[in-house]
Amino acid sequence: MRVVHPDSLTEAQEIARDAGGTACFVAGATALQLLWANGGAKPDILIDLGGIAKSRGVVAEGGDIRIGALTTLSDVASDEGLQTGAPLLAHAIGSVAGPAVRNLATIGGNIANRNGCLLPVLLALEARLVVFRSGAMREIALAEWLGETATATDIVCSVNVTAPGEGAVWIHRKVGLRRVFTPSVVAVAGVVHFDSSRLGECRIAVGGGVVTPSRLVSAEKALQGRSIESCDWASVSETIMREVEAPDDLFRSGAYRRKAAAGTIVHALKAKLDGVADYVHADPAPPTLASGEIALGKQMLPDRWFTRPDMPEKVDATLSYLTDVREDGMLVGRILRAGVPHARLLSIDVSAAEALPGVAAVVTHRDIRGENGFGIVFQDQPALCHDKVRYAGDPVAAVAAVDAATAEAALGLIRVAYEPLPLVDDPEIALEPQSEAVHDSGNLQTELHLDRGDVDAGFLEAAHVVEEIYEMPRQMHGFLETEGGYARLEADGTLHVAAGGQHNYRDRMQLSRILGLPEERIRVTSSPTGGAFGGKDELTVQPALALLALKSGKAVRLHLDRPESVLAGTKRNPMRLRMRTGCDKDGRLVAQEVDLVSDSGAYASLSPGVLETALEHAAGPYVIDNIRTRGRLAYTNNGVGGAFRGFGANQMTFAVECQMDRLAALCGLSPNDIRRRNLRTPGMPGFLGQRVSLTERCDEMLEAAMTSRLWSCERGLSPDGADYVGVGMALSYQGNGLGTIPHDEGGGVLRLAEDGRIEALLGLDELGQGLHAATVSQVADFVGCARDDVRPITGDTLLAPDSGSTTASRGSYVLWNTARRTAPEFVRRMIAAAGLRLGREPEDLCLVAGGIADRRSNSGDLLISYVDLAAALDPDERPSVSTHFAFPKTEHDRGNARYIFAFGATIARVAVSRATGEARVLDLDLHSAAGPVIDVASYLGQMEGGAIQGLGFTLLEDSLMRDGAYLTTNLDTYMMPGVADTAERLSVFAQESLDEGDDLGPRGVGELGIASVTPAIVNAVGDAIGYWPSRSPLSAEALLDHMETMQ
Amino acid sequence: MSGAPVSFRLNGVERTIDVPAETRLSEILRDLLSLTASKVACGVGRCGACSVLMNERPVNACLVMAWQLEDADIVSPEGLDILPETRIVRQALSAENAFQCGYCAPGFVTVLVSLLRNDPDAEMSQIKAALEGNICRCTGYHSILRGAQAAAEAVRAERSKSA
Repeated sequence: MRVVHPDSLTEAQEIARDAGGTACFVAGATALQLLWANGGAKPDILIDLGGIAKSRGVVAEGGDIRIGALTTLSDVASDEGLQTGAPLLAHAIGSVAGPAVRNLATIGGNIANRNGCLLPVLLALEARLVVFRSGAMREIALAEWLGETATATDIVCSVNVTAPGEGAVWIHRKVGLRRVFTPSVVAVAGVVHFDSSRLGECRIAVGGGVVTPSRLVSAEKALQGRSIESCDWASVSETIMREVEAPDDLFRSGAYRRKAAAGTIVHALKAKLDGVADYVHADPAPPTLASGEIALGKQMLPDRWFTRPDMPEKVDATLSYLTDVREDGMLVGRILRAGVPHARLLSIDVSAAEALPGVAAVVTHRDIRGENGFGIVFQDQPALCHDKVRYAGDPVAAVAAVDAATAEAALGLIRVAYEPLPLVDDPEIALEPQSEAVHDSGNLQTELHLDRGDVDAGFLEAAHVVEEIYEMPRQMHGFLETEGGYARLEADGTLHVAAGGQHNYRDRMQLSRILGLPEERIRVTSSPTGGAFGGKDELTVQPALALLALKSGKAVRLHLDRPESVLAGTKRNPMRLRMRTGCDKDGRLVAQEVDLVSDSGAYASLSPGVLETALEHAAGPYVIDNIRTRGRLAYTNNGVGGAFRGFGANQMTFAVECQMDRLAALCGLSPNDIRRRNLRTPGMPGFLGQRVSLTERCDEMLEAAMTSRLWSCERGLSPDGADYVGVGMALSYQGNGLGTIPHDEGGGVLRLAEDGRIEALLGLDELGQGLHAATVSQVADFVGCARDDVRPITGDTLLAPDSGSTTASRGSYVLWNTARRTAPEFVRRMIAAAGLRLGREPEDLCLVAGGIADRRSNSGDLLISYVDLAAALDPDERPSVSTHFAFPKTEHDRGNARYIFAFGATIARVAVSRATGEARVLDLDLHSAAGPVIDVASYLGQMEGGAIQGLGFTLLEDSLMRDGAYLTTNLDTYMMPGVADTAERLSVFAQESLDEGDDLGPRGVGELGIASVTPAIVNAVGDAIGYWPSRSPLSAEALLDHMETMQ
Repeated sequence: MSGAPVSFRLNGVERTIDVPAETRLSEILRDLLSLTASKVACGVGRCGACSVLMNERPVNACLVMAWQLEDADIVSPEGLDILPETRIVRQALSAENAFQCGYCAPGFVTVLVSLLRNDPDAEMSQIKAALEGNICRCTGYHSILRGAQAAAEAVRAERSKSA
């Protein structure tokens, strides 16, 4: 690609005209990377218009505003003349892309692309373009220009608008897939002159994305000349819906776009004409805390608030992640993915790739010395495919080359022959006998039944029955650091594989199996990593990295870009869940039937465990004597499913908690009353009949929900008529640990390091959850030293022992129990060693911040510091205490059952827009009971982060697929919540007490935050509009359709 | 293949590099110069992890190509300390434990430093607007917003001290 920098428009146009190949004008160039990533052809020549200075800047004279096409959007928006003359445009620019993009992108580019979000605004302003065409300047109305066929050699030079002047009101709204920084679903704009209560000239336009940018002439006519009182808004709305040209796309229907356009225009115009300001929903009252409950935060708990040990290096950007490692001579790895969802693999020819200069190694299944299969439970996933590919992201080969460009070129030289097989892309159809088998064993990966009582007889007693099908999305983990890392052979022959993970010893075992290398010859480093949420639990890039390092003999780094991460990475299993629940006239549950189908994708990974966990939560924290559940997990060619925060429990809780509210409505009970009548009582067996641990807190959580401040907030139609507001609640209880069946052990080491720091060695991983903060907190508490005296050593098989996986909310217990079990002996040895050096009796000594002190003195003076003590000791004299233990389990053996649970209640206040059907979360209050809070900041972070990940699951996120291919391939269409989508207010509360005799310590909260957010939001929607959506992410269209029936 | 050499200032130091014209600034930083403080998490300008300052304004380094760098003044997270507000902003964010995995942090810090440098009086609505281009998956944003508010207060306090 060549970039040319013409000095004049004439020169630019000549270059474009004479270009031998393809040429394209560029200014800010912000749209190109996405265009190219989505398969758009790269031009041979980029013609940079940036040197043509006349096209930059805003000039406002009188009412005329001339905007140079090369002016960046942020410069346009911040221009004072423009803000005064055409505030509508300044406002609208704030909805285009994100702030950093607007610092580069130009207004000319937004127009020249012909689908920019600004077009409706410019149409409403009757903008005129100055276009350089065939060597001459021409002024042409934007509307007219849009009607012409696009000409590749036209250069937009400036945009001229006239300030609407006094007496005009304006409206603008961009409806997107989320609140801001979003593709446009539809954008509306209007300028309406308004004089002595009568409407004058009206200019109303729509556009954005797939909506044809145009003025709404009929709607304008329907308004012009009317008095406010005589406006027939219903008819205006219908006129708009008839007039807007809007097709369907992947995300929204044309019908929705038309309705949303009509709704937003009418609402905004009425509000402007009536002079009604947007209503600001008032803050709720301050919370009233239950006895023993604390509100979490730096301000509320200053004495318990500590800067996390990993925070400064993260904020300073000095922390080196495993994908940041760069060394001289390090090769760059790439993986060849199948690209086809289901095919027999006939041949792989890598000779041309191997012959490419700069390529150091190419590996295929032929390079695998061990077993070509991995998977935490079932080893059904090939490290590199050999006979068949089962999803488009299946790895077929990998290359290591001197740089990324050579590695990419090498991928293109690998010849793979496939024989296509029938696609299996619907989990229910996959289970039908005639369906093509994804695996030889058939498509039914797991089928589970958990039955109790007489369900049919139970339903005969039911006064009310609610039956619903809940459908839930293929949520993406969306960790910001995509999968990657490096591998190399160390001097002693050890293979070192460093890639973000959640259980390094298991990764090592799996690699050993694949590579045919003894585990002792492999070192796995698995953290720090930039987020995981379950998505790095299974092996990701480690096999390819290991094979490339072994074959090349060199260090290799490899980092998936986002589209490859989307393609290859595990996702939350999409579920279709039919639930039928009956209660008697008093609201007591009499029977429930659950039928769940989960999409495993091409391989099992942890999807069987997710299914099992979902079913284990089928009754929620309620007592249902008669219950029948069936769960089926189907293999398909839809990517790969697996572990994701919540692990099936949050999906089941969505259904259970919404059934409760709907039954309550039928019985005429409050959400709280129906729960109170069915809540389990402490000491009852768990859902599977298993014994469960002490410290049950269902009652307390329900009490917290019942007395929540949010119920007394304003509900119903908001004073400005914009929203229906509702409040909803949901309870949750989340199992900790892997359950009775899987091997589940933990342990660690406490020791005095050479430099005097007290080291806690744990095989767990710092994924961002605050492992290090919790570790220093817990060790300091048990040992008596300061937090700063403690150094956590984690995430590396060379440096720390096996502590089990960093999943299933189990890490808190493991680190707490490790500290608890090692600290007494460690302290004993420390004071013994210090006593010897100091000539003091050990009984007289104790550990304090920084060193050893006299137990009887309050002076705080150190007798010897840890640093000096360590220096005085030989290496084998330095205290080191290790422990190993089983994660606490119950005795149940007829299924996988949890023993320890954490408890929660989520209360949500939600506003549903009458114009667009979008739901906006105003408040989320998260009550929790998970034992003592080890580190306030980490606990708060896990609860808040889990809640908003749950908000994304509920309102925004889905990985769309068609024909086995992802349609949402990057963060431009996969919508994770942005700062504008988070709950407006978010509060977290904790009850820390443990029952007498409970020696299980703190519970984990990694999954508690997400556990019941979805049903709380949906129940709030139900409270607001009397309709409980059963599909997440919630369909704004479905909500809008329902609201139409309310009027 | 290489384009014409481009000269620009990076963290206060003049640099001339010779790479293909379409090479992105994010690649130049991370792969050519091994400056890995700015991250890449989408590569299409939709997450803000690669934010750097270009002529004092935040931009997505993944959207800036080598040919656009001529004469530009680039500050990556490694060089942000040049700006006096950086220390204050970082301290406030740390004290609030604003982040979790930290991968988005360099981008958020870059944007916040730029905002508070230009507008220390920024209110919460402006802080939120400035952060619309940055995605965080771990926190749900509230800890970052609390940290940003504390940072704004600290920047204001510092300015009034020196005024």
